[in-house]
Amino acid sequence: MDQLELLKKDWKKQESSLPKLSREALTKLIYKKSSSIVKWIFIISVLELVIPNLPYLFMDHGKTLKFSEELGLTNFFSIFYIAFYAIIIFFIFKFYKNYRSISANSNPKELMQNIIKTRKTVKYYIWFNLTMVPIIASVVFYKTFNSPDFLEKLPEDTSMFMVWSIAFVFILIMIGLVWLLYKLIYGILLNKLNKNYKELVSNGVA
Amino acid sequence: MTKELEHKFVLDLEQNQNIVHKVCRIYTNNQDAHNDLFQEISIQLWKAYPKFRGESKFSTWMYRVALNTAITLYRKSKRTIKTQDFDSVLFKVESTEYDDIEEEQLKILYKTIHHLSDIEKALVFLYLEDKNYKEIAETMGITEVNARVKMNRVKNKLRNILNP
Repeated sequence: MDQLELLKKDWKKQESSLPKLSREALTKLIYKKSSSIVKWIFIISVLELVIPNLPYLFMDHGKTLKFSEELGLTNFFSIFYIAFYAIIIFFIFKFYKNYRSISANSNPKELMQNIIKTRKTVKYYIWFNLTMVPIIASVVFYKTFNSPDFLEKLPEDTSMFMVWSIAFVFILIMIGLVWLLYKLIYGILLNKLNKNYKELVSNGVA
Repeated sequence: MTKELEHKFVLDLEQNQNIVHKVCRIYTNNQDAHNDLFQEISIQLWKAYPKFRGESKFSTWMYRVALNTAITLYRKSKRTIKTQDFDSVLFKVESTEYDDIEEEQLKILYKTIHHLSDIEKALVFLYLEDKNYKEIAETMGITEVNARVKMNRVKNKLRNILNP
């Protein structure tokens, strides 16, 4: 007999040794706490959606307004914020829609696709926030570095190139830190899923 | 309403629990892990149950949700990490029906299955459950051709281990 046929035959015989749970035991089981990966993805994603905008809530808006007036950036910031929050609302809507489509009722391929889609939305959202950092920082730095106040305080022999370089390194470090954290969290959470997805959909010769 | 639904679900689950136990046997290698995965699959089945509208057989739907949980949704809890040699616990292949060689081969096969990837385990499981390629393709969400290619590959892998 082919060995795999033998295995199949034995597999059927194994059925008699399977545990049998009573209805009471099963009822208790279904109300236990789930340790599903989706719950974690949801919690972390919501944190990611909220955290980048948290500093804004704690800012002294009067001071910020004065500051942007001094730099002549009031118009820039008004337009910027409207666009910024419109985009964020769009992201949150997308995330919610994708999240709702995650269901154990779909087949494994669809399920994995939907989780990956949800993650991608949040990933784009983070990239969006990360690209905003250098844009805003450059505008603010540019205006600040050219304001008379700043130039007065600067020691005479400082080169502007040095000032810009420090600002640039500072921005890079911030982006790097966020990126690292992101990779770490999802490396742990999604490695298995990504691997399985690739294996399921690929048809390459191993 | 909920009580009614719960009653109906538990009845269905009780009658078909073998499917869940078998998925647990393929994916775990000790009793603790088995129980843990069984619990998670039951929770996922119950959560998905209101959306199950009988467009497929209950058992077919169960295969899908159970495999989804084992492959994607389930995250091992810390208490189940300790491993134990599975064949002493879950598979008892000693039987008067088999000769020594067959018994040894079966042990090797079960051991090998536990070292396969999550996707390969799903394929072997569906093969052992006597599903045809069409059903396998539907359950996994891939094309029939793809299912066939993947299945042949994993079968060869198992055979090659026994006949190097």
